Amino acid sequence: MTAPLVSARRLSFRYGERDVLREVDLDLQSGRVTILLGPNGSGKSTLIRVLSGVLPSGGGEVLLAGRPPGAYGRREMARLLSVVGQDPPVDFPMTVAAYVGLGRFPHQGLFGGTSAADREEVERALAMTGLDPLRDRALSAISAGERQRATVARAVAQDARVMLLDEPTAFLDIRHRVAFYEIVTRLAGTRGVAALVASHDLTLCAEYGERIVLLSAGAVASQGRPEEVLTPENVRAAYGVAVACDRNPATGAVRVTPLRGAPSG
Amino acid sequence: MTGGAAGKRGRLVFPALVAAFLGALALSAATGPVAIPFRKMADALLHGGDDTPARVLLSLRLPRALLGALVGGALASSGVAFQALLRNPLADPYILGVSGGAAVGALTVALFLSADASSGLPFFAFVGAALSALAVFLLARRKSGVSPERLILMGVVVGAFLNAVIMLMVTLSPPGKIPGALYWLMGDLGLGTPRRVAALFPYVALGVAVLLLLSRGLDLLLLGDQAAFQTGLSVERVKTATYLTASLLAGSVVAVSGLIGFVGLIVPHGARVMVGSGHRRLLPAAFLLGGAFLVLSDTVARAASPAGELPVGAVTALAGAPFFLYLLRRNGGRS
Repeated sequence: MTAPLVSARRLSFRYGERDVLREVDLDLQSGRVTILLGPNGSGKSTLIRVLSGVLPSGGGEVLLAGRPPGAYGRREMARLLSVVGQDPPVDFPMTVAAYVGLGRFPHQGLFGGTSAADREEVERALAMTGLDPLRDRALSAISAGERQRATVARAVAQDARVMLLDEPTAFLDIRHRVAFYEIVTRLAGTRGVAALVASHDLTLCAEYGERIVLLSAGAVASQGRPEEVLTPENVRAAYGVAVACDRNPATGAVRVTPLRGAPSG
Repeated sequence: MTGGAAGKRGRLVFPALVAAFLGALALSAATGPVAIPFRKMADALLHGGDDTPARVLLSLRLPRALLGALVGGALASSGVAFQALLRNPLADPYILGVSGGAAVGALTVALFLSADASSGLPFFAFVGAALSALAVFLLARRKSGVSPERLILMGVVVGAFLNAVIMLMVTLSPPGKIPGALYWLMGDLGLGTPRRVAALFPYVALGVAVLLLLSRGLDLLLLGDQAAFQTGLSVERVKTATYLTASLLAGSVVAVSGLIGFVGLIVPHGARVMVGSGHRRLLPAAFLLGGAFLVLSDTVARAASPAGELPVGAVTALAGAPFFLYLLRRNGGRS
């Protein structure tokens, strides 16, 4: 196996007195979609912020393509790693196409001229996310789900080797959720992108995730293939919910079903 | 940057703005107690001349109009930069108290060093502007961040305090050493001499050039600090450069024209309607529109009061204050 694009060892982060991340080990391989699961407050967003360099790590080590994040310039880093955050900007005063075009920033020179390659990448990102018909609409004039797709499109246009996506499907309906996972899977397959997707959707994760990392109280509770991680015991321990785990007869993937009225915790 | 919607209309915006800018200059130069027809104006510009209209034009009207264009353009550019930096549509060097800081900086030099340090004045005004911008920002900052309303509130408080300082300095200074309080508090282009225009020009040119270089970064700042950082922007570096440049622009023009309010507020909004929010188009559009707006405001002020008692800042405030209220209401309704 080739060296991972992102490799975190014993990564920790403290917020005041609270341990938000405790000695997290994580590898992201080129061409693989890894899903980051965990209840609210388990540290998923913090992990993404520390990996992207927005927050300083409070211990442990991160290597991006074999080098520590500090060894990269800002633009160089953004060509290597892109992030899709939780909150798409509501009032952003630009068109969808211009917003997606901002993702090309790390590929542009000092004067920020738009090259043919830039335009091509923006077109591709718009087409991939189905936003082409909305390209000239103001970002403030489209729905929350469409804005979320625009945020994903901006990261696609950024064309980085690693993509960290923080609950990018929260506002999406089932059709666009599926479309989102198809996009990420395609980027992993065709461009060798290493993707980390933080999510709450256990069932779709099992369909699309080649590897799942389950965080609980800032520590990795379990990681591995979906059928290894998504067991009733692991889910109950992390989320405090009783579930049944079986196989989807149509796809063979693990299927997680909450048990109604079953005692939890 | 604004996408295809601009289309045909988008291509016509800049020629129209340039025409408006030059038209305002010509109208201003033609207007006054001595009427100067446009043909005479062209003649004087091309061949010089020694008769009264030519001298009025070349030594009084034209420098004043050019000063207005530089000041208006610089204030509008500074407004665009502060609005992007603070992600606040209500930001403007006047409302933020930055212009007041600049005036105190300039007055300090004029009073305590040399009254005729006119080439150094813009620099000290810049220092005053930068210090007051920093003070307003630090006063408005809370642990949770800087709320737009709090920022404006602190700007108003600091601005009122600085206005009092200006009054104090002007009143206690020896007579004749510096221009009067009305000049500083309401702004005036009457000091537009060729020398002053030449002294101001490099500051404005430098400031506008730096902002143009930062324009992609200013676009990214609209995303918020975190997303801008993750898209490859050196956020702190760009913010520092923007803050210093916006202060330089606001400060250097205050040193030669006093406090002219609201240009930095209304002009960027008007320019956004014309060319969108991408800064590579917005900055030049705001400069041209700001220059035209201030030159026209000054022409109106001179026409309304030929003896020159009506400061240009009164005209811009007449137009700008209602507009500010409108923005405040619209912004408040949305959040």
